[in-house]
Amino acid sequence: MKLLIEAIGFGIATGAVIALGAVGFSVQFGISNVLNITYGSMMTLAAFVGYAFLQLNLNVWLVMAVTSVIVAVASVVFNRLLLEPLKRRGTSFVGVIIATVSAGIVLQYVIVAFVGATAHSFGQQSGRTVSALDFVFTTSQLIIIGTTVVLMVGLHVLLTGTKIGRAMRATSTNRTVARACGIRTERIIDFTWLLSGALCGAAGVALAITTVSFDFTLGSSFLIYMIAAAVLGGIGQPYGAMVGGLVVGIASQIAGAYWSPAYQDVIAFVILIIMLLVRPRGLFSTGTANRRLANA
Amino acid sequence: MPTSSADAAPSALATRGLVAGYGDVVVVHGVDVDVQKGRLVTVVGPNGAGKSTLLKAILGLSKVMDGHVMLDGAEVTGQPLELLARRGIGYVPQVDDVFETLRVSENLEMGGYLLDKSERAARLDEVLEIFPALKPKMRRFLGTMSGGERKMTAVARALMLAPRVLVLDEPTAGLSPALTRVVLEEQARVLAHHGKAVLLVEQKAHAALEISDWAYVLVRGSVAKSAPAREVLGDPDMAEIFLGATVRNEGAR
Repeated sequence: MKLLIEAIGFGIATGAVIALGAVGFSVQFGISNVLNITYGSMMTLAAFVGYAFLQLNLNVWLVMAVTSVIVAVASVVFNRLLLEPLKRRGTSFVGVIIATVSAGIVLQYVIVAFVGATAHSFGQQSGRTVSALDFVFTTSQLIIIGTTVVLMVGLHVLLTGTKIGRAMRATSTNRTVARACGIRTERIIDFTWLLSGALCGAAGVALAITTVSFDFTLGSSFLIYMIAAAVLGGIGQPYGAMVGGLVVGIASQIAGAYWSPAYQDVIAFVILIIMLLVRPRGLFSTGTANRRLANA
Repeated sequence: MPTSSADAAPSALATRGLVAGYGDVVVVHGVDVDVQKGRLVTVVGPNGAGKSTLLKAILGLSKVMDGHVMLDGAEVTGQPLELLARRGIGYVPQVDDVFETLRVSENLEMGGYLLDKSERAARLDEVLEIFPALKPKMRRFLGTMSGGERKMTAVARALMLAPRVLVLDEPTAGLSPALTRVVLEEQARVLAHHGKAVLLVEQKAHAALEISDWAYVLVRGSVAKSAPAREVLGDPDMAEIFLGATVRNEGAR
């Protein structure tokens, strides 16, 4: 029982990082209609940008905030310079995905060109250990969980309680009708990439903090967890991705604890396959995003 | 009787020599259209005549190669849809015309996105006076509603910004004959009665012409006939045009 509780504790910590990334990934797809595989490499970029700032002896949480801003801007530039021109030229949905796969690989090797292929580490950032009811967390894990909760609540308030949030929902549901309502959807798309890029940046740094060491494959190897979480929750659904992140995180840690750490990766694939077989719309899907995928 | 729709009154919406298409392909060849306040003007024509391209060019959704689009005399050629919406053009697409995953009330709220809260509430009351049938359905999700109810919501949504001009793209597509009559008579016609300039593009020509003031018959991207709707309805050549047997360009404009 103690092992299970510990695994759940680790799972919540892992799930918080997955949720951070998966929500950004899902929001990006839901609103801009791009399944952006470069997202993983952007997380890697965030980890290395964070690593560079850390060498300046900055506080790690300040590093996370600054890195999020940088990756947010990089995401907008990436969308503006590569993806929007492709879409304007009528490139198919699948064509755009292939472009993001290619761009992700290019970005990975650009990172290698700068920092090499060797492993790097944020060092000892975990802080002291806190335990309660057999749950054991490091202070870093607690801060990451807290940050995730705050960002998710903030995202909820943004989407449901603000004018720009309503415009994001409108753009996500039907872009032409949103435009007919006078909504400047291009600006909304820019804002979406800014927001999702910030989440990607935060997730990249959070992942680097919770990982002993990382290299240029950090984000791409983590991408499957985020895709599994997004599919589980219903791709394009930010709330679904939050729940999906938690489920994938806990399931992978339980698998690792009871069978072998090697099964941690496998469980994400298993969840992905089961969801695609049993409920491809995901748990929280409203149909719009799936129609887009079906029409791709 | 006027010889052109433009003879009746100043046009709320007008095109002059509009040439439009996709890539290098010209689909619409120098079309003049006029829609006045309080009038329902319909563009009809056989499949592939360029009706939708004309409409998309007016709305900034397809490439304008030459010519002009004017809103109350001001040049709006090639302006994006969101800007046209802000300037007073309401648009109801043929399909995907609503926010399907939202409630009726949320659709109308989105329609009034540019308004502040008090303006939006006041405008909502006005729109529901035009379409009282929506009042008991405000909590319904669009995905659960009939085609006619969805179209009514779409038109009501477009009215939230109090547009001077409304552009309806085949509002009866996919509807039964009974619902077609409801949409045309109780929605499109009602809009003109409320002082809107209504431009209707419609495949169901006979039903649309019966409720319209003026008609443009578009054939192969050009206006083959521009006349009062009743006159077009009684024109024996129209059957030929719609069957694609003969194209008569005389009498245009």
